[in-house]
This record gives sequence, C-alpha cells and structure tokens, in this order.
Amino acid sequence: MKILHYLNQFFAGLGGEEKAGQNALLIPRAVGPGAVIENALKDRGVEYAILACGDNYFHEQEEQALTAIRAAIEQFQPDLFLAGPAFNAGRYGLACAKVCSWVRDNWRIPAITGMHEDNPGTKEIGRHVFVIQTGASAASMPESLKRFSLLIERLLSDNESGIENFRAEYCLPIPRRFTARSAAPDYVRAADLLLAKLKDQAYESEIPRVEAKQHPIPNLTGSLRNATVALVTEGGLVPKGNPDRLESSRGSKYFKYAIEGREDLSHGEFEAMHTGYDTSTVNKDPDRIVPLDAMRVLEKAKRFNKLHSHYFVTTGTGAMPSKMEEIGAGIATELAGSGVGAVILTAT
Amino acid sequence: MVVITCLSNVATQVGVGRILGGNKFHYPVGQPELPPEEELRWRVDLMDKGLAALETPLKEPKVF
Repeated sequence: MKILHYLNQFFAGLGGEEKAGQNALLIPRAVGPGAVIENALKDRGVEYAILACGDNYFHEQEEQALTAIRAAIEQFQPDLFLAGPAFNAGRYGLACAKVCSWVRDNWRIPAITGMHEDNPGTKEIGRHVFVIQTGASAASMPESLKRFSLLIERLLSDNESGIENFRAEYCLPIPRRFTARSAAPDYVRAADLLLAKLKDQAYESEIPRVEAKQHPIPNLTGSLRNATVALVTEGGLVPKGNPDRLESSRGSKYFKYAIEGREDLSHGEFEAMHTGYDTSTVNKDPDRIVPLDAMRVLEKAKRFNKLHSHYFVTTGTGAMPSKMEEIGAGIATELAGSGVGAVILTAT
Repeated sequence: MVVITCLSNVATQVGVGRILGGNKFHYPVGQPELPPEEELRWRVDLMDKGLAALETPLKEPKVF
C-alpha cells in the first residue's frame, strides 16, 4: 500500500514564501502532515512519500509541475493520492484541487484533499475527488488529519457504506457538473449516447441543460437618430499585447477601450484573446469582431446619432454563467450611465 | 440590444431576445473571402440590419 501526499513548500518543511518557486520534488518519506497520517496508519504497513511543490511554481509553471508530478507518480506508483489540507490558502487550495482532479482522472486512484468551503480551490475540483471540509486555518490541522486517516482506513477496508457516510458527514458538497447514469467508463457512456441518438432512441445528456431565464426584451426609446450606440463583444478583442491581461478563457473581467477618432481597427493594433475560437481571421482584420469601420460609415450617413467613445469586451468561453451575469450587469450599468441608448453585441 | 452571432440557437437558449444571424462563429461580422471594399460593404449592410433589428419593438424573442 503506497500513499503519495502533495504538500506545498511550507508544509513540506522546505521554507516559506522565499521557497514558493520550488520545483516539484519527491521526498521518499513522510514529513509534516504526512508524518501524522503515516503514524495513524502505522499498523497498515503503508509506504509513504511526499510530493512537495512551491505555491508559485505550481501556478506559474503548471505544465512543468505536472510533468514532474507525472514522473513522481510513475516512479512511486501510489495506490492513493493525498493533497493538503489547504484550509483557506488560495494558491495551495487551487493546486490541491487541480492536482487531485488530474491524478484521479489519469490514474484512477482515490484522491483526497481537504480545504475550507471558501477556498477558491473548491471551484476547480473534479468529480470523484474527496474534499474533506476543514477550518479556515491550520488551527484545524489535528482534526483534519484525523479525518484524512479515518477516510483512508475506510478506503483500505473497502468499507463502501462507511465511505459514503464519511462523504455525507465530512466532505464538502462539490456541485457536480454532470451526472453519470451508469458505472460504465466515460468513453463507453459517450458512445452509448451517440448510438442512441443515431438510432433515434431516447437518450438523456449527462450535462444539465442551462435553463434560459426570461429577460424582458428592451425596446428602443425614441429614434436611433438621437441615440448613442455602443459596441460590445465577448470575442476577447484587446489592444495588441493585452495590456490589462484579459483572460483568454474563464473570463472574470471586462474592459473598455477607446475608439474615439478611429475609423477602423487595424491588424497589428488589436488582437483577440479567446481560446474558444480560431482568432486568426479576426486578428487579420479586427473589424470582423468589433465592426467599427462599418459603424463609422453608418454614423456618417446619420443612420444613428453617434457611436459610443469606447467598446466593451470580455471573453465568453469556459466561464461561469454567474460570473458572466455579473460582467453583463457591470457593462450595462456603465453604458446606461454614459447615456448609451442601444447596443450591438457580437458573439462568437 | 441586438446580439449578432451565427449560433442563434445558443443565444436563444440563454434567453437573448433580439438576435441577428452573423456569418461564422470565429468571425460573426466578417467575410474574409471578399476583397476588402466588398467586405466593408457587406458589413455595413449587416450592421444596418442590426440597427433595423434594434428599431423593431419586440414582445417575444426574435431571430432576424
């Protein structure tokens, strides 16, 4: 029975913030919280190793960190993967969440982490990972590690009802993004759904449908001849170099960029940050996503009063609907406050 | 507001009321096959349709 336990540099005893850039490192013995768990399982004949990685290194060099973690897993061949507990530490919690989800998905071994319910890591945890609820600080370490050990005991004894009871009592309810309707592996269920669809049989998607909320449809007040019209896009178009660091997916921000005095958006001055579509055509001529050139023609022809001084942009891919609602409301409030009477929103 | 997108079914599903069909999902208001002047003419025409959609009072969602 082999346990591999992921810790950040601090809990692995390597150092504090000055060691946050530490590359992933395999330590062939239990240290820190791992030593407590190993001791609790001492009658079980457990072989224990620690995988230590700096908080910053994991996020700044995620690909290299995962490569090192893969090498460590292939070398050590764990039966069980642990991470944390991370309490309410954001960087650590996110790393624990990502690494547990990744290990569970790739090696199909049980993965356990622990964190506080407000830790941003809770939003990144994949299905099947056990997420033990902890307090907000390391003051809850002893209690949290007892829970880790209890769950490991139950996993080792294949105590299925004990595991389910544990999940109900001590694990954070992580909302599932989809519901597996049978025990078959993902690829079998996907193929079954496809076959059912092709044969015109009844099938039900595992992904819940987003129910459309009914929004009132705003109509123009007055004439376009008196209206200021604004351009908005979710297509991620930003000035070249992306000065404000708009995310290319999972957008959490929006920005506005001045277009006053510009007749069009030219190649090389603007570029799209968006992993949801092939941006090459838009990058060649950004008017293909923010149609400034055409709007200037119509403005000069007095089709409407004037174009708003800025266009607004976010990235609408891979994002949380709740975050997008927040962004939409923010843009709408700013536009309404600037006397904009109509909006054209381009979406990919 | 009018949303210009080629995925009008998605826009409908998420509850957008006023939708105008765009060209392709990776360039909703572009037509790169055309020479630049013609592409601009096409885009002006599309945006004019967008403005007309804005001028159309709606009670029910509509794809223009």
